[in-house]
Amino acid sequence: MNEETPKLTPPKASGVGQGMDYGEQADVQQVHAAVQREKREPRVGAEPLSIWLIAVYGLAVFFGGAYLGRYSGNFSGDALDPYGGEAHAMKKVTGPQGAEQVAELSPHDRGKKIFAANCQTCHQANGLGVPGQYPPLAGSEFTTGGSRRPAEIVMKGLQGPVTVKGQKYGTAVMQPWDKTLTDQKIADVLTYERSEWGNSASPVTAEQIAALRKELANHPESFTEPDILALPADAELPGGPPAGAPPPKPGEAAKPNAPPKP
Amino acid sequence: MNATGIPLKEPSVSAVAGDTEQEERALIDASTRVPVLMFYTSAMAWLILGTLLAGFVSFKLHTPDMFSEISFLTWGRVRPAHMNVMVYGWASMAGMGTAIWLMARLCRTVLRYPLLLLAGAGFWNLGVVLGVGGILLGDSTGYQWLEFPRYAAIILFIAYTLVASWAVLMFRYRRGEQIYITQWYLLGAFLWFPWLYTAGQLMLFVVPVQGVLQSAVGWWYANNLLFLWFGAIGLGTAYYMIPKVIGRPVYSYHLATIGFWTYALFSSWTGMQRLVDGPFPAWMITASIAATILTIIPVATVGLNHHMTMQGYFPLLRYSPTLRFTVFGAMSYTVFSLVGVLISLRSVARYVNFTQASIAYSHLGLYAFFTMVIFGSMYYIVPRLVGREWRYASLIKLHFWASAYGIGLMTLMLLAGGFLQGANMDNPSLVFSESTETILPYLRGRSLSGILLTASHFIFAYHFGLMLLGLGRTSTVPTFLNPVEAEGSEAHI
Repeated sequence: MNEETPKLTPPKASGVGQGMDYGEQADVQQVHAAVQREKREPRVGAEPLSIWLIAVYGLAVFFGGAYLGRYSGNFSGDALDPYGGEAHAMKKVTGPQGAEQVAELSPHDRGKKIFAANCQTCHQANGLGVPGQYPPLAGSEFTTGGSRRPAEIVMKGLQGPVTVKGQKYGTAVMQPWDKTLTDQKIADVLTYERSEWGNSASPVTAEQIAALRKELANHPESFTEPDILALPADAELPGGPPAGAPPPKPGEAAKPNAPPKP
Repeated sequence: MNATGIPLKEPSVSAVAGDTEQEERALIDASTRVPVLMFYTSAMAWLILGTLLAGFVSFKLHTPDMFSEISFLTWGRVRPAHMNVMVYGWASMAGMGTAIWLMARLCRTVLRYPLLLLAGAGFWNLGVVLGVGGILLGDSTGYQWLEFPRYAAIILFIAYTLVASWAVLMFRYRRGEQIYITQWYLLGAFLWFPWLYTAGQLMLFVVPVQGVLQSAVGWWYANNLLFLWFGAIGLGTAYYMIPKVIGRPVYSYHLATIGFWTYALFSSWTGMQRLVDGPFPAWMITASIAATILTIIPVATVGLNHHMTMQGYFPLLRYSPTLRFTVFGAMSYTVFSLVGVLISLRSVARYVNFTQASIAYSHLGLYAFFTMVIFGSMYYIVPRLVGREWRYASLIKLHFWASAYGIGLMTLMLLAGGFLQGANMDNPSLVFSESTETILPYLRGRSLSGILLTASHFIFAYHFGLMLLGLGRTSTVPTFLNPVEAEGSEAHI
C-alpha cells in the first residue's frame, strides 16, 4: 500500500549523552529523556475534502432522510405504528374477504408451547415420562382413548398409584390445572398431546372444556385411578367432532371459525 | 511537589538540548504529576474491582445458583454495580486523568489550581464508593448507568463541577493562538457531561417525567454518555496520540472540523433507537434511528482523517505500545459506530433489541474503543510522570493481546448469541425460556473472554504498580514492543 517507510534514525546524540532520568536529578531543567526524544506537539494539515467523502455524506443524508420519512408514523403524537398509524392498521385487518388475514398458530402449535411451559418438566419433551414416577403420554391408553379421561385428569389432577402401558407409577402427584390454564389452553394442550409422538386421537375444543368445567365445578379433590377407570375408555366429551374424525396434522392452519388466541 | 510553584520560564538557552519546547513540556509534565497519577491510580483500583464483578456477573448468567442466597451478590445488584464501577470508577476517572494531562500540555501552561483536581478526585472516589455500596445494599434506582442513589449522585456532581471548572480555567490561561482539535473534544466533553447528568437526574428523580417517557430519558442518557462523554474524550485523545507518536501533522483540518460538529449534532439525537417497538410515538424512535444513520458522517470523516494521518506509518505499530493501543481503539470506534447503525435499523432491531447484542454494543464502545485508547494514552503519559520507562515489553505485549482477543471474542459471542436469541424470541412456536437456553454456549464463551480480560487487567495493574513505585527502567530509550532493527528506530513512545 505504501512504499514510504518511516524514516528511522537513531536517537539524538544529545538525548543519549545528557538524558538522565528525572527522578535522579534535583534540577528540573535536566529534562526526562521521554520529553527530549518526543516529537513536537501535533499540528494540523489542510488537505481538501475528497469528492468521495462528500458522496458518502450525501448517501448518509439521503438514507437517513428517507428512513425518517418512511417510518415516522406521519409525526403524529399517538401513532405507535411507524407506517402511519390507524389507516394502515385498518387495511391490514379487512382483507379481501373481510376476514382476518393475520396468520395464526394452529391449536397443535399453541398446545406445544403450553406443553413446553407446563407439562414437559414431568412428562418430558418426548412424552415418555420418567419410569416409576411420571407416566408416559406417548401411546398411553388414557391419552389416546376417548377425550373425557385425559380432559378430567388435566382439569383436576391425579394422585395415588396408576398403571399405564403395564407399568406402575404413583410416587408423584399431578396438580389440577383448571385454576391455572384457560379452557382454550387446556383444549390446545390436549389436542397436542393426542396428536403428537405417534398419537392420533381427536382434537379437543375450548367449548368442550368449558362444558366439562361446569360439570366438575363442585369436584374439589384430585382424581384417583379408580375414578378414571370408572369412566368408559372411549367416553368423549360432549360437543366434540364425530368419533373417528381424522386427527389434525401438526402445523395445520387454524380453521376460520377457530376461537381467537387467548 | 508544589506544581503551581514552578515558573514557566521564558525560552532561554538550555544546557540540555537547546530546545525551549522540551523545557516547557518538562515543566508542564512535572506540574501534572500528582493530580493525573491520583486519577490514574484510583481508576486502576476501580478497574480491578469492576473486572472481578464482571467475571462474577458473567458466570452468573450460565450458573445462576452461584451464591444466590446472599442478597448483595444477586444478579440484580452485582450487574449494576459492575457497570457503574466501570463507567464512573474506571472509564471516567482514567478518561479525566488523560484529559487533564492533555489539557495542560495543549494549553501550554503549567497546571494551575491542582487542589481543585485533588478535591475533585477525592469526592469522585467517595461518590463511587457510596454509590456502589448503595447499589449492593439494595438502594439502586433502576435506571441504566444512573443506578447510583441520590446521595452518591450529588457527591459525584460536586466532584465533577470541581474538575470541569478546572478545565475551563485552564482553557482561559492557555498560551498560543492555536486551539488544537483535541481541545475541542475535551472542552466539549467537560461541558456535555454536566448537561447529560443534570438532565438525567432532574427528569428521572427530581421532577420525574411521566410513565414511559422515563425510559426514553434513561436511554438518551446512557447512549449519550457513551457518545458525548466517553466518545469525545476517546476521539480527542486519539487525535493527540496518533500524530504525536508518528510525528506528522493530522491529515486535514477541514475533516476534523466536519467530524467534530456533525458528531456533536447527531450524537445528541440518539438513544431512543434502543427502544424500537416500545410504546412510544413512532417518530421519536425513528428520529433517533435517523440520527444514528447520520453518525456515519462523523465516523467516515474521523476514520479517514486518522487513517490518512497513519498512512505510511503503519509499520510503527510493531514498536510503539501507545500507537498500537490507540490505533486499535480508533479502528474500534468505526466498528462500534457501524454496528450501532446496523442494530438500530427497525428491521434488525426487531430481532436484536433487548438481547445480548446490545451488551456487545456497549462493550464495543466502552472497551474496544474508549478503554483501549485510554490504555494507549497511559502508556504514553505515565513514564513522563514518574520519570521511568515501562519495565517489561513482554507485559505490554501480553496486555495488548489479552485485551484485543478478549474484547474480540466477547463481541463476537454476544453479537452471534444476541442474533440467535432474538430470532428465537421472534419465533412464536418457541417458549421464551428456549430463547435464553439456546445461547448458553455463547454465554460460556463470553465468560472465557472475561478470563482473558481479567488476566490483561491484572498484568497492566501490576506493571502500573511497578511504575508507581519507581521500579520502571532507567533509560533514555523507551520500551518498545519489539526490538528495534539495526538501523534503529525513531525514539517515539
